[in-house]
Amino acid sequence: MTQPRIAIDLILSKLAEDAEKARTRAEKAPEVLLGPLETEIATTPCDIVYEEDRVKLKHYTPATKIQLNRPLLLVYALINRETMLDLQPGKSVVQNFLQEGIDLYMIDWGYPTRKDRYLTIDDHVNGYIDNAVDFILKKHNLDKINLMGICMGGTFCVIYSALHPEKVQNLVLTVTPTHFETNKGLLHIWMRDMDVDQIVDTYGNIPGDIMNLAFLLLNPARLMIDKYVGFLENMDNKNFVENFVRMEKWIFDSPDVPGETFRQFVRDCYQKNLLIQSKMEVGGQVVDLKKITMPLLNYYGKYDHLVPPEACEPLISKVGSKDTENVCLDTGHIGIYVSSKCQKEFVPRIAQWLKQRTADKKKLKIKKTSRKKSVAIKKATQTKPALKTKKNK
Amino acid sequence: MTDKSQEKTGPETFFADWMKMTTELWDPMAWMWSAFHKTTGMTPDSIKDGKRPRMQESWDTAQKTWQAFSQVMSEPETMETLLKGAGMLPEIFLKTAQTGSKTFVNFQKQWLEGTGKLQESARTYNIEEDAFKAWTQLYEQEFRKFFKIPQLGLTRFYQEKMIRSMDKFNIYQTAVTEFSRLLLLPMEQSFQVLQEKLTELADKGDLPEDSKKYYQIWIKILEGQYMILLQSSEYTQSLNKTLNAMSEFSAVKKEILQDFLNMLPVPTHKEMDDLYKEIYLLKKRIKELEKKK
Repeated sequence: MTQPRIAIDLILSKLAEDAEKARTRAEKAPEVLLGPLETEIATTPCDIVYEEDRVKLKHYTPATKIQLNRPLLLVYALINRETMLDLQPGKSVVQNFLQEGIDLYMIDWGYPTRKDRYLTIDDHVNGYIDNAVDFILKKHNLDKINLMGICMGGTFCVIYSALHPEKVQNLVLTVTPTHFETNKGLLHIWMRDMDVDQIVDTYGNIPGDIMNLAFLLLNPARLMIDKYVGFLENMDNKNFVENFVRMEKWIFDSPDVPGETFRQFVRDCYQKNLLIQSKMEVGGQVVDLKKITMPLLNYYGKYDHLVPPEACEPLISKVGSKDTENVCLDTGHIGIYVSSKCQKEFVPRIAQWLKQRTADKKKLKIKKTSRKKSVAIKKATQTKPALKTKKNK
Repeated sequence: MTDKSQEKTGPETFFADWMKMTTELWDPMAWMWSAFHKTTGMTPDSIKDGKRPRMQESWDTAQKTWQAFSQVMSEPETMETLLKGAGMLPEIFLKTAQTGSKTFVNFQKQWLEGTGKLQESARTYNIEEDAFKAWTQLYEQEFRKFFKIPQLGLTRFYQEKMIRSMDKFNIYQTAVTEFSRLLLLPMEQSFQVLQEKLTELADKGDLPEDSKKYYQIWIKILEGQYMILLQSSEYTQSLNKTLNAMSEFSAVKKEILQDFLNMLPVPTHKEMDDLYKEIYLLKKRIKELEKKK
């Protein structure tokens, strides 16, 4: 007797098994969902040490002895909130930096209201960021600071470092778009023909909900269906539910984006690609990338659909610094900050890079792009499978 | 005699009687009015500076006019002339109706021509293949002109805004519908591809036993279909069209709301924006001056 080509009996028994599992989950889920859940985000202790308009400067309480005499200032994007860097205990970029003995500051951009609609990139870079940097420099009696930018915040840091190189010791960029003329990222395609003037003139500020909808549309199958199927399959798992809710809280906590800033960012960056050509003007000054002479570490994600590698890689070849490094991780836009794999590697490596360049400048041997270093990085990659490093020179 | 008696009971006599009766009704009313004034002490003699109350003065004038008018109208000759004129009425009505019907027929003709154009356009645009695109073109070329008919009169600006909002809403609705249709396409296609894939697996005898695997195959196909769509120029065009339509509708909606808010003792967005801009510029100037210090 021959076997049937379709194993109906097996399929049916598996289906019955799944149905039973689903029933058990559904029975257990109310216990989890109705019980106490720890879903707080951004719980690492900090003080607000400086405030200007809606903007706050957070200073994190050190978790261990400070090992780096120069503080690190984190600059997040204007889209979504900086709470993503401190999403959950044990999986927090902020906590990891503190564990590495870094004296950490972070800008909280707050929630722009209609009165903030006229704020430009100049106001954010030469205003808020510069004032925060001055505050830290004065407090620590220093002349330079370490600066790290995330996504659009990274673009602001690039502009800041080009306009105020005398105040930046080291520059770290993560998932930072600087080259916008690429078809690899959907945002780059969509923004090209957008009538940004009409949208800004109508809305004043760009509503966070519209931005969020646009981000969901980047991958509807995963972000609007599969994600919630995953939730249903794990809703009896308290730990999973807590982390899921934390992520939901962060994703849908979207402040509006100040209109004039959005207008300039779309027009000068996405549509004219002026930044990478050193042609962008901010506050009446041309942003000349050759003035970025400090060491530069540039992280990005291989599978980032928002800021693809093509939007990040070219920067190091355009700046004036000789000490530059591109690091490509096998992850996406958010995975860099929240994936367990990256968490283990990402922050310690940045901390190490900073320590090397801050400890003793005399001993510091600025390495130009060389085969030797490239090999060393490859070796490191072999032992750390989560990382993939790429030298771009 | 008979004729005379008929004349006496004819319409002219009826009107004369009616006029007389009306005058007789208002005479006592006038008398009551005077009596009322007498009781309240407001007699013509009691009025200071030789002036009577305005209402009484108007009443007296109206009464005198009516009396004079009714006297003239009660004369049989006047009535006869009037009734002769009334005999002309059907002719006047007919002429008016003819003019009206001509206008109506012309309008109907134009409308039918328009409908004909619509049918012609519908065929040209190939509605079956691309209904939303066709409808947009039809709307923009054939219907939209009706929203552009010039508005007249005191409230023409408000009417224009209301009509513009209706027009923008129609455009927005069409754009959203087309955009939604595009977003649903990958769903349809993913099920088709899934069926093909499953047939292929069934033929090979490789159908998965785990039901979750089917879902995983489908979601992967769906993701792929979306990636194709989201990178297409058709999607980008539709997205931008929807965003523009939404902005335009939102803008005109705000204009209308602003008109209503203008009537209330609250500041409008425009007023607040002007104020915010002034504050912004002042703050910027102060910060610059502080840095220079």
